Formats: sequence, structure tokens, C-alpha cells
Amino acid sequence: MTAYIIRRLWQIVPTMAGVILLIFLLFNVVGGDPAYLLAGKISNAEQIANIRKQLGIDEPYWYQLLLFVKQVVTFDFGQSWSTNEAVSSIFATRLPNSLLIGVPLLILETIIAIAIALVVAYKRGSLTDRSVMVSCTVAQSISILVYIIVLQYVLAYKLGWFPVQGWGNGFFENLFKYAALPIIIALAVSLAPNIRLYRTFLLDEVNQDYVRTARAKGLSENRVMLVHVLRNAAIPIITNLMIQLPGLLVGLFLIERFFSVPGIGREVILAVERSDFPVIKAITVYVALATMLANLLADLLYKAVDPRVELK
Amino acid sequence: MPRLRAHLSLIAAFCAVLTMAGCGGKQDASPTATAVSPVQSADGKKVLRLAFPVQESGFDPVTAHDLYSSIVIDGIFDTLLTYDYLAQPAKIVPKITEGMPTIEDDGKRYTIKLKRGIFFSPHEAFGGKRRELVAQDVVYSFKRHFDDSLKPVWRFLIDGKIVGLNEWYEAGKKAGKLDWDAPIEGLSTPDSHTLVIQLTRTDYNFNYVLAHVAMAVMAREVVEKYPNDVQSHPVGSSAYMLKEWIRGQRIILEKNPNWAGGTWNFQPSGKDPYDETIVREMQGKPLGLIDRVEIYPIEEEQSRWLAFKNKQLDVVNMPGNFAPQAIPGGRLAPDLVAMGVRRQSFVDPEYTYLYFQWNDPVWGGSELHKVALRRAVAMAINRQEEIDVIRKGQAIKADFLVPVGVAGHNETYASSVTYNPALANALLDRFGYKRGPDGFRNTPDGKPFSFKITRQGNAIDREFDELYKKNVNAIGIRFETETEKFADSLKREKRCQIQIRGAAWIADYPDGDNFMQLLYSKNIGESNNGCYKSAEFDRLYEASARLPDGPERNALYLEMQKQFEADTPWVMGVSRIRNQMIHPWVRGYKKHPILLAEWMYLDVNTGKGK
Repeated sequence: MTAYIIRRLWQIVPTMAGVILLIFLLFNVVGGDPAYLLAGKISNAEQIANIRKQLGIDEPYWYQLLLFVKQVVTFDFGQSWSTNEAVSSIFATRLPNSLLIGVPLLILETIIAIAIALVVAYKRGSLTDRSVMVSCTVAQSISILVYIIVLQYVLAYKLGWFPVQGWGNGFFENLFKYAALPIIIALAVSLAPNIRLYRTFLLDEVNQDYVRTARAKGLSENRVMLVHVLRNAAIPIITNLMIQLPGLLVGLFLIERFFSVPGIGREVILAVERSDFPVIKAITVYVALATMLANLLADLLYKAVDPRVELK
Repeated sequence: MPRLRAHLSLIAAFCAVLTMAGCGGKQDASPTATAVSPVQSADGKKVLRLAFPVQESGFDPVTAHDLYSSIVIDGIFDTLLTYDYLAQPAKIVPKITEGMPTIEDDGKRYTIKLKRGIFFSPHEAFGGKRRELVAQDVVYSFKRHFDDSLKPVWRFLIDGKIVGLNEWYEAGKKAGKLDWDAPIEGLSTPDSHTLVIQLTRTDYNFNYVLAHVAMAVMAREVVEKYPNDVQSHPVGSSAYMLKEWIRGQRIILEKNPNWAGGTWNFQPSGKDPYDETIVREMQGKPLGLIDRVEIYPIEEEQSRWLAFKNKQLDVVNMPGNFAPQAIPGGRLAPDLVAMGVRRQSFVDPEYTYLYFQWNDPVWGGSELHKVALRRAVAMAINRQEEIDVIRKGQAIKADFLVPVGVAGHNETYASSVTYNPALANALLDRFGYKRGPDGFRNTPDGKPFSFKITRQGNAIDREFDELYKKNVNAIGIRFETETEKFADSLKREKRCQIQIRGAAWIADYPDGDNFMQLLYSKNIGESNNGCYKSAEFDRLYEASARLPDGPERNALYLEMQKQFEADTPWVMGVSRIRNQMIHPWVRGYKKHPILLAEWMYLDVNTGKGK
């Protein structure tokens, strides 16, 4: 197991090298020259050249690439080009706010989606199953924007159940007051596809011989579904969960914008709009790294839930 | 990302439709004079709550490149001069000076007497002592615009204008370090409260520069304490100081305890009847009645608008997409009337325009057939449709090169270039732009060409594409677009490589020169983005730049306008209308077209009779 983990961690190095090269190429080919954005309303060639010098983008490409590698290795991406704020500070102050929405959302959507999927898988073909499936199809067909606009208007403005927008100071104030509606909306959006997906995973198992055997042995339906079926369907569910984990790092940018949540998602949008390369570099590298680590974690979890899985 | 932007912009239109359902309720035409702010702080402090539609970047006057950071800077820092709160057109008045500067030596020497008793807000950099603002602070603040390491964005305001300043900068560049203590010939301080500015050339309008927020006065000790992060530690001498700043979440300003203060004393402009009410409410009161200003960055239009209607904001600049339901038929919607909301509308000192590349082989230059081509397009573009459909009625046509509200504007001027597709077609026929078999015109020498516009591809760009395509197709000209990132457009623009592009200019200061310089050929590569070159226009511009605002300069502006129309290097666009919505408990509010932070002139009714 340890050897496997070490091997997998080593594999991160060449993958990360590829990511670095790709980001670097993309920025330099299609990224736009930030000096022109930072130069203000009236500027001349000399001032533009000065800004390029201050940003270090007048250096030879190989040198810029070397600096990038150093930044990745040290996890020090310097300062934002447009706001001068340290990139580390951006992550330290914005990421917790995004996680405050993202983590409860992931937990709730997983629990609720699995619970509903178990029920509809168990009652496959029933009115309940068909109703849930139709509802899911309809729900999936609606854009997230519609959910945000309608629910913000109805639940926050008209009914006054939640603040229209904003963010507070304390953890609990944010979680229960300001994050509640964003979580509900994100949940409404994400539940439908997850229910359909998990239902499929569960149905694959419900028709297996071991389920029939368990029932023949007289096990209760609860035990059959919750212990046997769910455990065997866990691998694809874990895969789906692990795929979603790195997404926590980029936040829910639309929701963050609409509800004025000072999260990392808003920063990502701003960074792209402003060609703020240090922030873009950092977020891309972190997401790539998180994806690789999540994949590793998924493999380890496979082994934990199914001892037949061999890690080679 | 363009897809995301498109999404975000499309939302606005959808929001507008949805929110329409919420408009209703009984009509109550009179704002409630007794309306009380929902914010009732225990200590009786008066709070004003505002929103920014864009996140701020930082509060260093030299480096702030966005409007919203500049608003905060204006609330914290003093400039030498400012604007009369009510006067129309905008009028410069002293802020921290004893009277207006004395202008001598044919408009080249400005002598400024600083008021005594102007103190910076308390800060540890001052060692626990009250720190008075002196003339050397002004000199230091001017010099900072030449510190390359800061990436200064407002240098153009004084670049090449002050004797010895550019030489000091060049010497510093050579030495590898700026000498902050070195005297500047054109910035002398005979005593601690006198500043003499010697200009390199006649400029009777330099007062506008002195009133510009970028010329705010800073204390050297604070800058040196935070060499890499002054923007997070703004310490000024104006009415407010930064109490709390959580980036992207809130900016909290509180009254500067060292602020000199003053008495509210303005006269109605005579152009806006509401001025009388403001004067009645505020005259004789102390300035700075607002104790605390809270600013929240709220990017989405629906969120901002609902927050205002929900009384979470006291004042809001109405998002344009909400115009059809907030001001249907140009009148405030009944539900807003019932809330006692007041609307203040005014035309921003700006305009949009569409420029043609002067060096372009098809579109540029002064040959008659090219002038005719540009003129034909100018006559084919339907600006009224732009105002009605794209701007939702919230704009007016801009014809004169100096827009409304700016010194030098000509109210009675009627442009010779008006919407007339039939005449445009006739003009093209006459100058040999014949139609080919496909129905589109070719150049007089028979080559196909198109109206190729560069844009960023967001939702409003696509609306313009539809309008322009319809308009230029109607006169037989092919339409093409090229989409690129904004930074790339700026880069190519400075190299005179863009054929046609839409642009906008908002006044840095309300003087015609700030607009006329957009067409001066020596500004090619800087602000003359169409690279227009006319010896006659240049001659007139240079003559006008030596004159103060007045009939003589206005006469030159009229000639420049005629030269401009004769060449038609641009298609003039529109000036946008701003609609400020104000809750009834806010007193004395009037959005000034140039002043950024008017908070010190306001009051909020908390019902406690302060």
C-alpha cells in the first residue's frame, strides 16, 4: 500500500510538469497582455514597457517558465497583478467562504441523492420512481441561472426568509444566515443529476444474484439495500464524489456573484477578466494537484470498501 | 469565459422580466419626509450604505485604475481643489486651500496657499502626534506619479507639464533610484503652506488637474511605512478614514477625528428645482453628518436592485436593465413611489463613439471618396434605435465633441451628420462605390470590402452587431466582426491596427480639452485610438489648449467640430443617462457628475434629531 501511494505521488511530478507547460503556453499565446489593462486610460509605449518590466513579462520565456516552476515548488505565487494582494492571502481569505457553501452542499447532496436513489431503485417502475425521474429530468433541463434568479427573488426578496445577498463575520452567522439560500439553490441544481446517476448505480446492483440470495436468506429489505446493495454500488459513487472534490477549490462562481459571497469563484472570474496571471496560475495548479490527490484518494477508498480491489 | 460573460449579461434581461412581477402597489407620489433609516445603531451613529458594481482594487491614488477604488480614495484623501456640490456646470472651488490658486505668468505659474489646520487621520506612522498637511506633502504626492515601481496610471495628468519634474524623473531613472528629497524647479514651497507650480506651457485649466482625485495628498511617512502595500493603508486628511476593508466583501469608512470639518453652504444651481429642497434641508448644518459609510461590492444587477428595494442600501445607481419596470414611461414606478424613493437622473459627462482607423487603406485618410464612405456609414447608423432598444431609453444622442456638462459644450449645436440612409446610399453611388452581383458595394477600384468591427463578444456587443449589420447592410456594405480579448484590442489600438471599434470616454475632469485631445495627432498611440491626423485640427487644438474656458475657446471648439465632421473620423454615439435611486431618509443627496464621494454633504434621518 505504502509503495503504491509513493509511486502515485511520484506520478504527480510529470503530470504537474505538463500542466505547468500547458498553462504557460496558453497564457502566453492567448492570455492577452495585462500591461495594457493596467496602464490606465492614457498611456504611452514607455509606460507600457515599464509595466511589462515590473510584471516580469519582458523577460525571456525560459526565465519566466523557470520562475513559474519555482512558484509551484514553493507554493508562493507572488502578488495579484491587478490588486497587488498576495495570492496566498487571496486563497486564505476567500477559500474558506467557498468551502462554507461547498462542503455542506457536497455532504447534503450526497446524503439526499443516495437516500432518494435508494428509494426509487427499490421501487423501480413504481409511480414514485417515475415521478422522481420525470422531476429530475425537468429539474436538469432548467439552467442554474433560472434557479438563482427565481429563488433569490421569491425566497429572499418576496418572502424575506433569507438575505438577498451579503456575507457576515462569524462562521455560524454565515452558515445559517448567508450560506443557507446559496446551498439550497446549489442543492436544487445538483440533486437531480446525482439522483439519476446513483439510481443507475444502484439498479445495476439490485438485479444481481447476491441480492436475490440475501432476500432468499430472509434478510430485511433495509439490510439488503443499505448494507449489501449500497456497499457494492459504493465504488462508482465514490468515483463521482472524488470527481467533485477539486471543484470545491474553484467555488460556485455564479452563486458567489449573485449572493456577493467573497469566495474564490468570484476571484477566478475577476482574475480571468483582468488577465491576472498569478491568480490564474495558482488556481489552475491547485485544482490540478487536488484532482490528482482526489484520484489517489478514490483508489484508496475503493480498496477500503471492496477488499477484492488490488492496488498495483 | 466569453460564454460565462454572455450568461451573466443575459441574466440581467431575464431578471428584468422576472422582477416586473413585483412592481405594483398603491401610488404615493410624495416622498415621506419622516422616513427613518432602518439602521439604528446603539451609539446613534448615522450610517450610509452603498454598493459598488465592481470589486475595488486598492486605495493608492497613484495606482488606482478603477472608478470604484477612486471613489473611496476621494472620501479619504484631500485634493487641493474640489467641485461646488450643486453648481451646474461643474465649478471648481477650494478644498484645502485659502481661496483659488493665483494664476500668473500667462497661465504658467499657479500659487497656492494651503489652509492651516488640515490634519491627516491618526496613524501610527505619525508617532502619536497630529500630523498637519503641508506643501511638501503635495510635492511628494506629485512626484509619486513618476515612480515606475508603482505602475502609476495617472501620470498623464502632469506628464511634461511641470518644469523640472520630468527631468527629475529622467535623472532618477539614470541613477537607478529616484531622489525624493531633490527639489523640483516647478514645484517650490516658499513656506510650509505655500506651493508654487511652474508649468512648462500656458495652461489656464490646470485647476482641473489639481481637483482630480489622483492628485490626492498623501503623507510620506505612511507611504514609507508600507512601501509595497500603500493601497491597503490609505491615510488622508478628508472626512473619512478606512476602518475596515475585507476585499470583495465590505469597505467600512468612519469619520476622521482629525478632519477640519466645515459648514454646509451651497447655493441652488438654478437648473434643478430639487436643489432648493436640498439647500432647505442642509444649509447651515455642519458637514460630515454621516458617521459611517458602508460599501458592499455587489456585482449582479438583480442582487443590487433587490438589496436596494429591500432597504439594505440607501442609494443605488439603477441597473440599466431595470429601467423598463423602475421608470416605465420615464416616470418612477408606483411601488417605488410608495416607498418614497426619489430618482435623480442626469447625463454622464461622457459619450460613446465608433472610430475608423485613419491609416486603413479602405476606411482611413482624407481622400474624398474615403471621407464619403465614412460619412455614409455615420448617416446609416441609427442611434435612435440604439437608445430605444439597446440603451432602453437611458441615453441621449451625443453630437458635439464636448459632451453635456463639460466646459466647452455647445448646447445649440446641430450636427450636419444625421441618420439618413437614403442620402448615405446616394453619397456612396456618387463616389463610385458600386454594388456587385451579390448586392454589396465594392471600392471605387472594384475591390470588395467590409465594415469589420472589433469587439469583445459580450451580450451588449452582440446587440450592437445586430444593429450595425442591419444599418450598414442597408447601404450595401458587408458586415464582419472580429472578437478578441480587451487587452489585445488595446494593444492593437495603440499600434493603429484596428479598422473599426466602438469606444467611450468619460471625463477625467469636466473640461473640453479632456475630450478634444482624443483627436490630437500627437496623442496617437496614447488616447487618439483611431489615429486620426489632421493638421488643421491639430492647429486649432493647440490654440485652444492655451486658452481658458470662454467664448474665444468655444469658437475654436466649433471650428474643430466642423473639421471633425468634414473628416468624419468617428461616428458619434450617445451619452448615457444615470439614474440614482435614493431612499427618503437620505437628505441632501445629489449625485455630482464629477465628484466621486459626496458623503460629507449628506445626512441620514435616523429619527433621533441629530
